[in-house]
Amino acid sequence: MDNNRKGKEHPLSILAEEAYKVFSDMGFEIATGPELESEWYNFDALNVSKDHPARDMQDTFFIKNQKEKVLRTHTTNVTARAIEKAGKEGRLPCAFISIGKVFRNEATDSTHEMQFFQTDGTMVGEDISIADLKGVLTHFYKKMLGDDVQMEFRPSFFPFVEPGLEVWLRFGNKWLEVMGAGMLHPNVLKNLGLDPRKVQGFAFGGGLDRVAIVKWGISDIRFFYQGDLRLNQF
Amino acid sequence: MKISYNWLKWYIPEIPKTEKLADIFNCHLCEVESVEKKTDDIIFDLNILPNRAHDLLSHQGIARELAGQLGIDFKDPTEMYKIPEPGSTNLKIEIKTDKCRRYMGRIVRNVKVGSSPDWVVKHLESIGQRSISNIVDATNIVMYDSGQPCHAFDLDKLEGEKIIIRLAKEGEIMMTLDGKEVKLSSVDMVIADEKNVLAVAGVKGGKIAEVNDNTKNILIEVANFDPVSVRGTSKRLGIITDSSKRFENDLSPELCSYAMREISGLLVEYGGFKFEEVIDVYPGKQEISKLSFSAGKISKILGLNVSVKEIEDILKRYNFKYKNTANKFEITVPPMRLDLTIEEDMAEEIGRILGYDKIKPKIPSIDFKPKENEIYSKIGQARNKLLNEGYSEVMTYAFRDEGEVEVMASASDKKFLRTNLTDRLKESLKLNQLNAPLLEMDEIKIFEIGTVFKKDKEEINVAYGDKKGIKEMSLDEFCKSASPEFLQEKVLPLGDLRQDLIEQKFKMWSIYPFIVRDIAVWVPENVSSKDVEKIIKDNMGELVVRGPRLFDQFKKDGKNSYAFRLVFQSYERTLKDEEVNEIMVKIGHKISENSSWQIR
Repeated sequence: MDNNRKGKEHPLSILAEEAYKVFSDMGFEIATGPELESEWYNFDALNVSKDHPARDMQDTFFIKNQKEKVLRTHTTNVTARAIEKAGKEGRLPCAFISIGKVFRNEATDSTHEMQFFQTDGTMVGEDISIADLKGVLTHFYKKMLGDDVQMEFRPSFFPFVEPGLEVWLRFGNKWLEVMGAGMLHPNVLKNLGLDPRKVQGFAFGGGLDRVAIVKWGISDIRFFYQGDLRLNQF
Repeated sequence: MKISYNWLKWYIPEIPKTEKLADIFNCHLCEVESVEKKTDDIIFDLNILPNRAHDLLSHQGIARELAGQLGIDFKDPTEMYKIPEPGSTNLKIEIKTDKCRRYMGRIVRNVKVGSSPDWVVKHLESIGQRSISNIVDATNIVMYDSGQPCHAFDLDKLEGEKIIIRLAKEGEIMMTLDGKEVKLSSVDMVIADEKNVLAVAGVKGGKIAEVNDNTKNILIEVANFDPVSVRGTSKRLGIITDSSKRFENDLSPELCSYAMREISGLLVEYGGFKFEEVIDVYPGKQEISKLSFSAGKISKILGLNVSVKEIEDILKRYNFKYKNTANKFEITVPPMRLDLTIEEDMAEEIGRILGYDKIKPKIPSIDFKPKENEIYSKIGQARNKLLNEGYSEVMTYAFRDEGEVEVMASASDKKFLRTNLTDRLKESLKLNQLNAPLLEMDEIKIFEIGTVFKKDKEEINVAYGDKKGIKEMSLDEFCKSASPEFLQEKVLPLGDLRQDLIEQKFKMWSIYPFIVRDIAVWVPENVSSKDVEKIIKDNMGELVVRGPRLFDQFKKDGKNSYAFRLVFQSYERTLKDEEVNEIMVKIGHKISENSSWQIR
């Protein structure tokens, strides 16, 4: 193949492929799912109650004349569907990874976009713990950004996990939050047909766009969706 | 929430130095958004997590947390406040809605409205609040100190000495303290007298009973309201206040007693005020809850061996009342800690207090056989095929001016989801054709693989094209139409990571226009294109962002013709034709110095 004539990939595709490789090596199965999702899988199943602020109009795109439908605000809906199915099929323990487009109804600037890419993963088994979560994510970021990447796991809160954590990466002189994570909340396991007395698991989700920022120093995440080939530099 | 170092010091005199404090917050509690150094204080802006807003939107809460984290003394403020000697009261409180869980009221007479003591002004200003008057400041101090919002009404502006907590009548109107008229609905909770609405409960006070310089007698409100109700009203009215933010996160009604004691104590200090008895109506009594957990389960969740002793040590530092029998802990949950309900909550509590850095990462190995994901494989195959054929990949916005699926209340003017990829791809093609010299592509060929949204379904499409036009079809169709060999090509996730990516950095482009110039030269047969290129390079200066790129060459009559393209662009300004012409002339001269070379 003549390399010079080959087209150039979008940077986020490159990152998604690299990320899929890393997670596949660790035994994760790739999951895909709908972008227009039911409120059940996007919110309720994930322990985000009806009156949770995340359901506010300013964050979520609701659909006109389609009650109970939203543009997914994370790809956790996909991994949630996947572990539900795996549970039904008796495929436990299990591990899934899903990278895809997600949507947030918010004003845009150089670090915020209405659409962006999220990497979402989960692993469920008898004794999957935060130590495993840390192992998987440390390996992932080292593979993506090099062995000298500096990471911290800090306390946080998301309705679908307990304990809840955040992953922070050192970027120049600053720390950048790149992922939310934690142990799946027993309510989530129950909602997905699993028995929290028998299994536990971790889940994580974070923007791929931010990895691109850290990895390559891309200054504005809005560049990703302009259809501008000047971005395809790698 | 803005937190003053000096204010914390009241409660925890052994508070560590500020540099250490930011790390403690970040690693054990929540994110520090900023640290602001003032002349004699330091202000931390903490991003309090939603599950701790019950108790941490307050200086006392943060101080208590730090005392537990660090094992240092917490000075209980309760004893600090003098208890007034109250006279009898005629105040009546009637709660007509279950959305009000507790209402404490106290009449204070003979008040003198004026300026606040220095320390009050200082405390408020340190966290960016303005001092208003001694009465209003006292209510604010109590809120930022304990987390409990309080309110003061001018008693003489009330219709009698009776307070009614009820739902508003549909269309009822109230003028807020800042002079804004709000129209209420039948789900909004209000504080009223027999005639008027005095305040929107937990959200905003009304103008009618505003405390001003002439106020002589006041009514102090310390209450607890249903979080969902307050949030709903605050959202509907578009009014967010420090009070509504606290109520909507759910406060413990038990906090009211302390807050009433604190505000009374503050007002006693002003001197000369006459206090009446507190009326306390408390229909939504908070029950005492217990929580059981084991060291074994906590260790299993964290993936860290946590000993019974370590847990006991934490429980003691945090003043949890607990029993430890038969390897089970049972704690009495402090009323303010509404976040602690299940065993996993204690795993978080123990985990974050110990610090998640104590947990050693390990890569799990599980008995699970991943299957191939068909959609993903198809996307990968389609992408590979198009890339191999020279198409470059773009991603465009899912939002359009028109379509079949409409989103509600978008932050953008584009309210519809795309029904095709072609429309955006055309725009992308146009943009990239203009930039073709910068892209160093002879022909722009692009593709996108993405979801489109039809009235009742979404599907993944593939669109690709060039100047001749754009083709679009579903992913399935695309894969069907392709040759069978391409489908057999295994895609991801296989192979090693791309090593070449590690060192690469993104190079931002210039926002100024570029200028393209071509130069073609006849040279003898023995002269290579590299020789010509070198002369151009040595003389083209720093404004060339692409090139010289050899885009054409041929032989004729024992001579070589080489054509190079140069793209000029500045990162600071728009270039002028003349200055580029000058550079080209200079290159031309240099080339002509070789008598056997000729510019075409």
